[in-house]
Amino acid sequence: MMLAVFATMSVALVAGYSGPRWFAVLSMLVCLTLSVGLFLFEVYSPEYGFHMPWLQVQLDVVPHGWSLGGHS
Amino acid sequence: MNTTTGARLPATLNDLFQFAMMLTIAAILTTAMTFQYYGGEIPCPLCLLQRVAMFGVCFGIILHFRHGYSARNAGVSMLFALFLLIVSVRQTLLDTYPRPGHSYIGSAVLGLHMPVWSIIIAVAVLLAFAIKIAVLGDEHLPDRRPSPALGRLARLLGLYVIAICLINFGSVILQCGAGACHTSEYKLLSSS
Repeated sequence: MMLAVFATMSVALVAGYSGPRWFAVLSMLVCLTLSVGLFLFEVYSPEYGFHMPWLQVQLDVVPHGWSLGGHS
Repeated sequence: MNTTTGARLPATLNDLFQFAMMLTIAAILTTAMTFQYYGGEIPCPLCLLQRVAMFGVCFGIILHFRHGYSARNAGVSMLFALFLLIVSVRQTLLDTYPRPGHSYIGSAVLGLHMPVWSIIIAVAVLLAFAIKIAVLGDEHLPDRRPSPALGRLARLLGLYVIAICLINFGSVILQCGAGACHTSEYKLLSSS
């Protein structure tokens, strides 16, 4: 995938420098789409999803009072 | 100041701004490649995406020097700067938490690691574009070609940016092949 990202960016730069403008823009859009897709793939973890490892939003132990509705 | 000079000055300042930005990004990318090839620091996938984003900023500037001013070119550069910001913020937040096998990639420069520098670079690019648009506006910029001397320099710099992008492309082929990238080795150069 990274190969395709750099290939399309190289094509976009070369076309932007000396090729047709529509082709340069098209290559750039393909590159951006692939880059965003690869970024989402890279940050996705089957175990944690998209969350940050230092942000814990799930309680390991439910506090005693919460089960009685005493947390509000 | 007559009308012609008054109209030409913003266009010249805009050209200088775009040239300086491409020069700065080319220098940053060259530094990153120096760390990679001489320092032996193999870039991570998010690091490579940050390089792509910087090349994307240069793409908008190359279009500017070839076709003349267009707000679309600046928009493309800002779009890639935003992508750079998102990727580098994600990597910095990810690396903030020490985990086995995960730490800041590469060596620190002036006490800051690469993803933190990328955040600064992305904010600086977006801020520079915002200030440029606020100060220069764009009513005098359309249909104005860069001066021949600056245009030639920018074309040379554009060629250099394309060259380092192609070198990065070759490097990615060696590091990742057609699959996922790893920071442990260049996949196609490993003996196993």
